[in-house]
This record gives sequence, C-alpha cells and structure tokens, in this order.
Amino acid sequence: MATYLVRRVLQLIPTLFVISLLLFGLLAMKPGDPIDEMRRGNPGFTQADYDRLREFYGLDKPWYVQYWRWLGRVVHGDFGTSRQFGRPAAEYVFKYRLPNTVLLSGLSLLLSFSVAVPAGVWSALRQRGFVDYTITVVSFVGVSIPIFWMGIMLIYIFAVQFRGFLPAGGLATPGVTGTWPILGDRLRHLLLPVLALSSLQVAQWTRFMRSSMLETIQLDFVVTARSKGLSERQVIFKHALRNAILPLITLMGLNVPALFSGAILTETVFNWPGMGRAIYDAILVNDFNVAMVSLMFISLLVLLFNLLTDIAYALVDPRIRYG
Amino acid sequence: MTDTTRTRSKQVEVENELQTHPGESQWRYAWRSFRRHRLAMAAGVVLVILILGAIFAPWLTPYDYARQNRSNMFGSPSLRVAADAQTIDKCARPQVLWWRCGAHPFGTDDLGRDILTRVLHGGRVSLLVGFSAAFISTLLGSLIGAIAGYWGRAVDAFASRLIEIMLSIPQLPLLLILVGLLANPGVRFGAMLTGVLGDSKNIVIIIVVIILLSWMSTARLVRGQIIALRERDFVEAARAIGASRMRIVFRHLLPNVASVIIVQATLMTGEAILIESGLSFLGLGIQPPAVSWGNMLSRAQGFLYYPNGVYTALFPGLFILLTVLCVNFVGDGLRDALDPRYHGRA
Repeated sequence: MATYLVRRVLQLIPTLFVISLLLFGLLAMKPGDPIDEMRRGNPGFTQADYDRLREFYGLDKPWYVQYWRWLGRVVHGDFGTSRQFGRPAAEYVFKYRLPNTVLLSGLSLLLSFSVAVPAGVWSALRQRGFVDYTITVVSFVGVSIPIFWMGIMLIYIFAVQFRGFLPAGGLATPGVTGTWPILGDRLRHLLLPVLALSSLQVAQWTRFMRSSMLETIQLDFVVTARSKGLSERQVIFKHALRNAILPLITLMGLNVPALFSGAILTETVFNWPGMGRAIYDAILVNDFNVAMVSLMFISLLVLLFNLLTDIAYALVDPRIRYG
Repeated sequence: MTDTTRTRSKQVEVENELQTHPGESQWRYAWRSFRRHRLAMAAGVVLVILILGAIFAPWLTPYDYARQNRSNMFGSPSLRVAADAQTIDKCARPQVLWWRCGAHPFGTDDLGRDILTRVLHGGRVSLLVGFSAAFISTLLGSLIGAIAGYWGRAVDAFASRLIEIMLSIPQLPLLLILVGLLANPGVRFGAMLTGVLGDSKNIVIIIVVIILLSWMSTARLVRGQIIALRERDFVEAARAIGASRMRIVFRHLLPNVASVIIVQATLMTGEAILIESGLSFLGLGIQPPAVSWGNMLSRAQGFLYYPNGVYTALFPGLFILLTVLCVNFVGDGLRDALDPRYHGRA
C-alpha cells in the first residue's frame, strides 16, 4: 500500500506539469497581453512605457521562455501578481474568492447529499410504485435543466414576483450589522444559488443511489439478514444502506472538484464573487497569473480526489490489492 | 420480498418474449422492447416533432426571425391580432394555420421580434450543434477507446494518460479559453477558419470545441468494454484464422459494444445541447444575428423586471429543457431495450 501511494503521488507531478504547459500555452496564444488592461483608460501611457513594462514582465519573450520563468517562480511558491488588482494572484484567489466558493459548494454538497440519499432509497424501496415514478421523473428533469436558466427562473419567482422576498444576487446587503442579522442576510443570499447549483447533483445522485440500492437489496447477505429474522428497518438501514452508499461516496468524490469551476454559470447569474467567476473574468482580461493559479488549483484538486477515491476503495474493500 | 418476485416475473416475461420470436435479430428485439417503454416512446415522438419544427422553421411562421418591431416590444403572449398590428409587422406570409400575422403566441422580445419564431429558428442551431457534436464525439471516443483497449501496452498507456489529463483540467474554463482562441480573428488559426467558413464559423467552432472536450468519457467506457471482450473465444478464433488487428476491432469487437455506444451517443446529445446553451448564455457561443436557444437567453436576465420581460427567458429555456429531457428519456429507453441487464433498474 505504501509503495502504491508513493508511486501515485509521484505520478501526479508529470501530469500536473503537462496540464500547466497546456494551459499556459493556450493562454499565451491569445492575442493581447496583460499590459493592454493598464493602457486602457490611461491617456499618459506611452509606447515606451508599454515596451518597458513588457520587458519588465518578460512578455516580449516567446511563450516557452515565459512558461519556464513562471514555473521557476511557482516552485518557489510565487504565483505572480494579478494585473487587474495589483495584489498577489494567490492571495486574491485563495483569500478573497475561494472562501465564497467553498461556502456555496459546501452547502450545495450538503443539501444534495441529504436530499439524494433518502430520495434514492425511498424510490428503490417502492420500485415501480407511484413514489418511484415521481422521483424518477423529477430527477430526469433535474438532469436536463440548464442550471443558469433555473437560476433565472428562481430569481424571477422569488425576487421579482414576490418583490424582494429573496435577494436577486450578490454576497450580502451592505449596512447590515449584528451577528444574527448578518447571518440571516448571508443565508438569504445563499438560498437561491445553492438551490440552483444543487439541482444537477441532487438529480444525479438520487438516480445513482436508487440503482445502487436496488442492486444491493437483492444480494445474498440481505436475504440472509431477512431470514435471520431482523426487522425490515434493520435490514434496510443497517445492512443494505451501508453497502449501497459506498459507490455514491466515490461518485461524490469525483464530483466535488467540478463544483469549483462548474459554478461559473451559477456565480454569473447570481453575481456571486467566487472562483468560477474569477477564472472567467481573468481569462477575458488576460490576467494570466490569476487564471493559472486557479486552474492549476482545481486540476490538482481533481487529481487528489481521484487518488483519495482509489485509496478509500482499497481501504473499504479488502478484495482490492495494490502492489 | 415483493420486489424480487416482481423482478423474477419480469425475467420470465422477457424470456417468454424471446421464445415467442425465434430467429429474431438483436435489433428487432430491441425495437420491440423499446416500443413497450411508453415514456421513451412519447419522448421520441416529441423529439421528432421538435426536429421537424426546427427543419421547417422558415415555413412554419409568418415572421422573419430577425425582423425588429420597435412599436411592439415585450408584447404579451396571445393569439389575438391587435387592430394595427398587420400593417406594422410586415409579415413574410399572412397566416400559418391558426397563427395569423400580427399575433405572437409566445409574445415578443426586447426588440419586438416574435419569440416563437425565434425559438423555432433557434432550434435549428441548437439541435444541429447537439446532434453533430454528440455524433462525432462518440465516434472519436469509441475509436480511441477501442484502439487503446485492443492494442494495449504503450498505446493504451498513452491514451489513458491523455484521458486522465483531459479529465483533470476544469472543463468550462478550458471551453472558454478554446472558444476565445478559435473565434479571435487575431489568432492565425481563427483567421483561417473565418476565411474558410465565413458566417457559420461560430457554429463550427462550438461543435469542434464540444467534441474536443467530451470524447473522453466514451473512450473510457469503450476501452473498458473492449478489454473485457479481448480475451473471449470468438476474438481468439478470429486471431487464429489470421484476421488483422483492424479487422478484429472493427468487425468483431466494436459491433459487440454498439449498444453501449448508441446509448452513450444519446446521452451525449443532451449534454452537448446544455453546453451550447451555457456558452451562448455567457456570450461566447453562437453570436447574433444568428439565433440559438442559448443566445436568446444571454440578455434575458436583464429583462426580468420589465412587464412581460420574463417571456424572453421562459420559452427558450423551456425548449432546452424539453429537448434534453426527451433525449434523456429516449436514452433511458434505449438502454433498457439494448441491455437486458438494465431492465427496470436505471
């Protein structure tokens, strides 16, 4: 197990290297550079300033030289400065954007899990019944609905129709003071984005949970549990559910990183200052350093979660052996 | 307990069906069991209607989709014709069935354009993007997956690593970067595309980018299936009589995973339609004056506070939802029909 782990972690390095090379190359191919942003809206900016800054930032060199320098700084923990905000890119992303995204995605994960598991189990226990059909159709709708459109419709219903019942977007209302009012205000701002962001996960995980449960309840050990005279409740919740939920946890692990970048649409609709939105803006205005640090962070997250899932599998299922 | 009994009776039912039609091909059997799946059949019918509506869009509406009418902005949905509407609207034809010139069944948008007309026309682009991207992406994914699975060794290692890397890069940002690159006339390749494709460039770019970023799941799926089949006797037999590797892959292995691939292609179609709508919503997909369901929504959020403004958002979104929903139901029905192991489970 230890050698396996070391090998897997070492394999991450070349993979991350290729990903960074690919992303950097693609970003560098874009016409225009970060200096253009500075030049815009600054009449005193001369061609000489432009050339000097380009040389200062090394933007006059070919992209592979730029990449090499970027890499050199990154291994020392320096991700460069954001040209939009004039502060370190890593600080901007991790201090100001990541917490908002973690809040949004975390609540959405929590909600999805606590809805999907009971719904999936209930649906499986009533296979081909009315409840099952209803849950199935609803989860089909959840999988098929465009998230941003659902967000717009939620805004229309809760912010426009019931005028101001819930805020149409943003992080918080300015001018609210006191612990409880701030908390309440934050929750009101979170409700709609979390609902919109969770719709897909709830639907997918419900369907997954249902099929996993159906598969489990016909296995021999469940039959054994029943014939042993255990109550139906014990059979379902103690024996079947515990086994059926394992594959779902794997799926969740694989889905988590996608929540960080996949929230671009939700964050756009609800004007939520999170990471997805930061990446989108950074790409649009050529703020390479911000784009690179966030994209590399998410890629690393994906790889780590893949690894964690494999390890969790090995720990839980003794049949799997890694050499 | 009743559940297991039901599953059993279902199995018996399936076996009976098989016995009563001896010598029937796999595909005829699949078609028969697909027809029994009522929801999937209904979804299939709706999907066909949507596709026909998109194909015949210019003949199904009295209006031109780009024609603006500043005197009738944010009109409410209605089949009635306002007294002075006929003269102002300048229709292409006076009437299509009960839809007369001057009536707007879905209302009008911020520039006074008829929303139903635009939804019909938008369907052409959205469905074209969805079906072609899904088709080519599945084809590409199957090919890569099959080759990786059968060749094994270095080829497999390379393909698997490529799949892993492509899956680790966040999809939506990569889409944004690629679309931005290809659509930018300042990039050499982008300029070349403009020269070759002209106005339809945007549609082709979206299709290509969706393909580039969506073949991996199919490849992974097919690779797994091929590896499972690789050592079976019929493949051994083909090898023994000297069939080439290409022949074994294309004649013996791929037909055996056809059912999996077909289901995958269906589900991919829904995915592609959703990606197109998301990109166009962000303003990076299909560009006006061309119309797609996604770009109809791109400014709709700003109109929510206008009277009747919600219809600009409601109808395009409903059509995306309806289409993807139908595609997914059909996919589910196909899986049921093509893969007996899935009966009633997924």
